[in-house]
Amino acid sequence: MMLAVEDLQIHYATRDGVARAVDGASFVVPEGRIVGLVGESGCGKTTAVRAIMGVLAENGRRAGGKVVFKGTAIDERTTRPLLWREIAYVPQSAMSSLDPVYTVGAQIVEVLVKRGNASRAQAKARAAELFELVGLSDRRLADYPHQFSGGMRQRAAIAMALALEPSLLLADEPVTALDVIVQRQILDMLRALQQRLKLSMVMVTHDISVVAYLCDEVVVMYAGQVVESGPVREVLARPRHPYTMGLRNAFPDLLSDAMELVPIHGSPPDLRAELVGCRFAPRCPFVQPACTSGAITPEVAVNHLTACRRSAEADTLRAAALDPKTWHS
Amino acid sequence: MKLVLERFAHNALALLAVTTILFFMFRLMPGTPLAAFINENLNADQQQAMLQQFGLDKPLWQQYFIYLGNLLGGQMGLSFFQRRPVTDILLEVLPNSIILTLTSLIIAYVFGVLAGAWLAWKRGSWLERVAVPVVLATRAAPEFWIGMVLLAFLSFNLGWFPSGGASSPGLAYTSNWQRILSLDYVQHLALPVITLALYLQGLPLLLMRSNMLEVMHEEFVTMARMKGLSEWRIVIGHAARNALLPVVTAFALGVGLSMGGNVVIETVFSWPGIGRMLVQAVSVHDYPLAQGAFLMIALVLALMNFVADLLYMVLDPRVSHGRKS
Amino acid sequence: MAERAEPLPARRTWRLSPGVKRLLAMPLRDPFAFAGIVIYLAFALVALSADRLAPVDPMEILFTKAGKVAANMPPSAEFLLGTTNLGRDIYAQLVHGTRSALAVGLSAAVIVATVGTVVGLVSGYFGGWIDALLMRIADMALSLPFLPFVIVLTGFLGAETENIVAAVALLLWPNSARVIRSQVLSLRERAYVEAARVTGANQWRILFVHIAPNILPLSFVYAAIAIGWAIITEASVNFLGFGDPTSVSWGMMLQDAFSSQALSRGQYAWFVPPGLCIILVVVAGFFISRGYEEVFMPRLRGR
Repeated sequence: MMLAVEDLQIHYATRDGVARAVDGASFVVPEGRIVGLVGESGCGKTTAVRAIMGVLAENGRRAGGKVVFKGTAIDERTTRPLLWREIAYVPQSAMSSLDPVYTVGAQIVEVLVKRGNASRAQAKARAAELFELVGLSDRRLADYPHQFSGGMRQRAAIAMALALEPSLLLADEPVTALDVIVQRQILDMLRALQQRLKLSMVMVTHDISVVAYLCDEVVVMYAGQVVESGPVREVLARPRHPYTMGLRNAFPDLLSDAMELVPIHGSPPDLRAELVGCRFAPRCPFVQPACTSGAITPEVAVNHLTACRRSAEADTLRAAALDPKTWHS
Repeated sequence: MKLVLERFAHNALALLAVTTILFFMFRLMPGTPLAAFINENLNADQQQAMLQQFGLDKPLWQQYFIYLGNLLGGQMGLSFFQRRPVTDILLEVLPNSIILTLTSLIIAYVFGVLAGAWLAWKRGSWLERVAVPVVLATRAAPEFWIGMVLLAFLSFNLGWFPSGGASSPGLAYTSNWQRILSLDYVQHLALPVITLALYLQGLPLLLMRSNMLEVMHEEFVTMARMKGLSEWRIVIGHAARNALLPVVTAFALGVGLSMGGNVVIETVFSWPGIGRMLVQAVSVHDYPLAQGAFLMIALVLALMNFVADLLYMVLDPRVSHGRKS
Repeated sequence: MAERAEPLPARRTWRLSPGVKRLLAMPLRDPFAFAGIVIYLAFALVALSADRLAPVDPMEILFTKAGKVAANMPPSAEFLLGTTNLGRDIYAQLVHGTRSALAVGLSAAVIVATVGTVVGLVSGYFGGWIDALLMRIADMALSLPFLPFVIVLTGFLGAETENIVAAVALLLWPNSARVIRSQVLSLRERAYVEAARVTGANQWRILFVHIAPNILPLSFVYAAIAIGWAIITEASVNFLGFGDPTSVSWGMMLQDAFSSQALSRGQYAWFVPPGLCIILVVVAGFFISRGYEEVFMPRLRGR
């Protein structure tokens, strides 16, 4: 097992009380697999991956749970030596994640020299190699971030992430800001690199079609908790949680756009409030009185986990969920 | 390059506008139109020369162009009271002003940048809570008052510094450079510089602090953390480097602005600079000298605005390196 | 939306726009701004009751019981801050100086805020040639060296307080006009303005009902800053000897102290208090504008 996250709790101190951005999430990343972490914005996906790297905003802290990397539990202090050497990150917006006053090449060289103990000459040669790996000309190393197009910047960010040959790559919506054609190019490249370099990967996205296209495993998060997880084929073919069913309806397929898109009405709950029962209940078309009280214990069938009171009726609900009318109201 | 020319044109036009305002301001002063350049202090020959040189018998609009032409040639008339060309007088005192301004600005900015970055890093501590209002108070104090208090205490009370002027009486030097490089000059310079630096450090300090606070929240700083770079590298190499951009620009602007502001400091310390020259000229109604001193200050201001624009372009690759795609 | 239609109110009640509401509530939220307002109020109170606080005429030459001029007296129960070299009561000058400081500060603030706001609104809202023209004038005013300009103007036109206020206002309005203009530009695009435009509301109505109230806090910030600048400038002009020697002000006190060798005599009680008063008033303006910045420029909030 490359990475295991167990009952993670992340709290943000805000003016209006504590926000439980991640509230007891557990999932695993098997070696050499791509795990998609999916959910709407504000569900705690980004917070979860940042917590893995021990880099939270000032007002955030890990309030509980464990992060186990290659069999060893790590905290903020013990994570630091692993950063970039073992665990690297691909940001959503490479534009704001690259320092505007240095050339892209200089920033790759910086990490190679400071974290990889390379000499400057070695670092320069390696930077050119990395650029080639992601399909960029090494002449562009001398350019500043703002001189790159969006897709090229993401490629550069991937090159930077691969600089020290990490074993785990955390990608936070790496293609969200791009148009569909460039998205596919980048995803294909990520897939190829992952296989060639035997990387394990976490792919954070709000777009379930990206998960379908790229990932081996999927973890669906809602309001700071995992509501469903399992192998992509199994979960997307036979979702057992109404939220997953809704997400599936809400996104176009990356390869075809045959189906009508049906949004899920409403928005995720305020995580500063005391939440009881199923957190999706207020938006769920299949809600029953029982759903709004008590804690929901996840059920595991084979390796497919679901946290829903009505998961026994999943097949019936799934059929109903395909009808757009179910989601209107 | 186009941008450089554009900024140059902009600042040149602003300077032209100032010159124009000044021309009409002095012509509309009380007294005859001739009063701007001719005074009974000048002898008959000098009066005639001024009348000729500035075309004072011609219509106003012609005078305006003659005046501009003379300015381009460095001709600003004769001082009523010193009976010498204004340009000569100004060039004599200009180095004193430049030395005073630059020395204090450099001290103020080096200190301000370091202290500002440090305060940003220490944000939320009691030290920061005390320091920020104190720095605001130094910005709020009239410069000349800071000078007065320091003068009374450090010079009159403790006797550490001379109380005014640029050199002790009775000393003779073979050249201006020798004078400026002498220990005596430095001793005279010290107190005005301390005063000015004390007044000026607030701006870079507060600017640096707020820029740092802003930059520390930028995504690329978080990225630097994720890369496991050292705290020093993150704060100095990334955050401070970015936060410094506007401060450097402010420095160039500060040179121009404080040349004007030095008027009071130079008066407090009887420092023979261009600001004190302006005050003296205005108080004895020496119009040509006042005009000249004012224009010189305006010229430095415009020049420094242009330098600030250039610096900004050079330092920020987003401006200096255009988009390729 | 309410389910049942509410009867139209017979009289339109005047409601505060959110901008104005936040403007009024701000000092309660920010301790710095609160301190600033307290300082302003304290000085205003001193100015109003100056005659009672210091019944001695600040320009009167006082005599000791022995019949000699009470010159350069040290601070005592009789002369709280001592006397000047001409035997005038320094405490009385300080108290009465509050009046001229506030008069100069407030009049400059009102002019700067009014001109800056009107120009900013017109320029930002209407755009086009009028915007271009107004902004060129602003550029021009900004390229004048500040203090030298004030000196030349007052040196030649006379040192009446009105001239100083006029010169300060002439040079300070462009700053506020520029910032307000850019704020108007962004407000103009806001949805509710669009909505008001579509329903056929009059241009001027949109400007004054929808945009102006949201600009008010910014005008206020620049007014607070202008108070400080005007007082410092007035003091500087006085100090340089271009002031009105018969009117009592902090700047005149400092000039008087400087030119009559109070520094070499170490009469700190003469020249330190006026400077501290100036600092207090100017800092109060900074505190208020800082407080408003934090509330109205959310980017800086909560850091």
